[in-house]
Amino acid sequence: MKKMTGILGVALLLAFILTPPVSAADLPKVIKIGGQGVTSGAHADYGRQMIMGATLAIDEINAAGGILGSKLEMKFMDSELKPATAVKNARYMVQEWGAHLLFGVDSSGVCMAVGPVLPELDRVQIFCHAATEKLTEDLVYKKGVKNIFRISVPVYQDSIVAAMIFKDSPEIKKWAGINCDYGYGRTSWALFKATLKKHRPDVEFVAEAWAPFWTGDFSPHLSAVMAKEPDAIFSTPWAGEAVMLLRQALLLGVFDKIEVWWQAMGGSVDVLEGLAREVAKNQFQGKLWATARYIHNWPETPENKAFIDRYLKRWARYPNYSAETSYSAIYAFKAAIEKTKSLDTQKLIKTLEGMKFNSPGGERYFRPEDHQAVYTVPAGKVMQNPAYPLPILGDLRVIPAKDYYRNPPFPPVE
Amino acid sequence: METLAFQGLVGLSLAMYLWLIAAGLTIVFGVLGILNFAHGSLYMLGAYFAFTCYGLWGINFWLSILLSLIGVALISMVMERFFLRSIYRLDVAYQLLLTFGFILIFDDAVKMIWGGVFMIPPMPDFFSGAIPIFGRPFPVYNLFIIGAGIGVAVGLWLILERTWWGRIIRASASDREMAGAIGVNIPILFTTVFMFGAALAALGGALSTPVRVVAPGIGAAIIIQAFVVTVIGGLGNLKGAFAGAVVVGVLTAYGILLFPVFELFIIFVVMAFVLVLKPEGLFGGVNQ
Repeated sequence: MKKMTGILGVALLLAFILTPPVSAADLPKVIKIGGQGVTSGAHADYGRQMIMGATLAIDEINAAGGILGSKLEMKFMDSELKPATAVKNARYMVQEWGAHLLFGVDSSGVCMAVGPVLPELDRVQIFCHAATEKLTEDLVYKKGVKNIFRISVPVYQDSIVAAMIFKDSPEIKKWAGINCDYGYGRTSWALFKATLKKHRPDVEFVAEAWAPFWTGDFSPHLSAVMAKEPDAIFSTPWAGEAVMLLRQALLLGVFDKIEVWWQAMGGSVDVLEGLAREVAKNQFQGKLWATARYIHNWPETPENKAFIDRYLKRWARYPNYSAETSYSAIYAFKAAIEKTKSLDTQKLIKTLEGMKFNSPGGERYFRPEDHQAVYTVPAGKVMQNPAYPLPILGDLRVIPAKDYYRNPPFPPVE
Repeated sequence: METLAFQGLVGLSLAMYLWLIAAGLTIVFGVLGILNFAHGSLYMLGAYFAFTCYGLWGINFWLSILLSLIGVALISMVMERFFLRSIYRLDVAYQLLLTFGFILIFDDAVKMIWGGVFMIPPMPDFFSGAIPIFGRPFPVYNLFIIGAGIGVAVGLWLILERTWWGRIIRASASDREMAGAIGVNIPILFTTVFMFGAALAALGGALSTPVRVVAPGIGAAIIIQAFVVTVIGGLGNLKGAFAGAVVVGVLTAYGILLFPVFELFIIFVVMAFVLVLKPEGLFGGVNQ
């Protein structure tokens, strides 16, 4: 009997150690938030902007007394854009470091690897950047992995917005694609083609080229698609690769031949900074169009303005979309915890489902069916503006989110 | 037809970067017997040094390239003299471990010094144009790269075939002990050859800066392609390295044009065929 009690005691102790201190009634003194994103290589600015955005939010919240008195603490790890590394990071942060909440992750491959691990780790993760629609459409809606939430707009932004803008340009008939040779690029190109074809049966897709991560030189891709003399180019490489691609396109005289170049995530701050010289010389001739998952010059609300000012003051840079989504993710957690008064994963999921909240990027709403945040981001032309030290998106086209988001039950992309 | 010719020319400019890297890799292997995994990192350092001189400090473009070559050669001297030298007699696995360790060290050092964010310096004005070839604009810079690559090939040939130093190198590559016995100072030769190979990698990196991204990890990314080049051409053989680079560069370009969905696949298929049919590479191995 005595032995029995001993074993029970050990078991209890073990259970106590294994269960992080998140008893339903009250919160731990310190709420640990584990983030990850890419902080090395040509895409490194996205992870760094995540750190800057999340740090700003955490410092603001802590300065104002924390969440119901609990302070926030963050650990941020480099996903290296590798699914295996990201899964290892997530396990480490929850099981070793004791993270209560997770956020971050760039790239489709990485999010599709981390998502399915979350139920086992018993944590909620708010994804801040990864763009494949499969994260929310397949994993959440079809497979029921409820621990996944995404605060950033997925490939609907990269592809459907482009199709809806350029369906009204009857003179553009021949499109070519230069796309990332992984989930994000493939799914964007497919959605773009399907949407545009529905409105414009007369368009042709004359050429496509695919570029994996670490493509150093896009000249062969450019010369291959230009051989088919397209009127416009749809392109998805992002970050430093987008800057290089566009500069190599200028060298090859591509902008003298085409009418429009759609650089899906060209509205990202690092890309705009990287193209500043070329934009100043008007080398893109007003033909370069882009969008992002948030742009700092829209919406023109006091909240957004105040966010930009605080961010500039703290980091001396404009916030990229991964900064805004990470900042908003921390505040979304705050709102959910204040309502739930608990860190219990199932309760948090219930609260986050259908939650409406304000953010610098405007009002967001987590759709209960697929846990995707619904909000509007405009697209525009890359141009100079005397009010800003870097190029911005101008001539904005604002299409409401409800018109370009795909909806449940998510028919297959034809 | 013109499309094919134009694409081939684009492929040729790709090939020249690979050639510069593979040349150093293969010379070092031929003479020292070291397969330097960190050779790509020397390419990366070359790019960073050139970027710093040219892009940050505004030094003349050509002088920046020269400074980056000198900088990388000095670092490689330390690497050879104090690290590689102690493992020449050990099993090849130790070489791989040591040089792989250098990749990690260089990548992290670069992150600490320059930060993880990519950098792209401006293109020098005299290179920023294009000239029409086969009816389409072809960048002057790519032409220059092709010229530079061929220039290095001719230069290397002259050095190896026509100079005293070249004869020593060839002698040591074919029989190290005999060369030592007749009075060649092998340790000094090894250090200089290693520095020379490193400078070639740095040249590739420095020349890449106006058009390619400078970021941690570009070295590890390019070393894989350089290995494919040397496997196809024959490790330790310079003619093979040149031919291998041209094969890989041009096939990559044609793959993207003709089989966009599996352009990566093609190169590895070619490599597999070479390995099966002629495992020593198209031009044989060392000493040919």
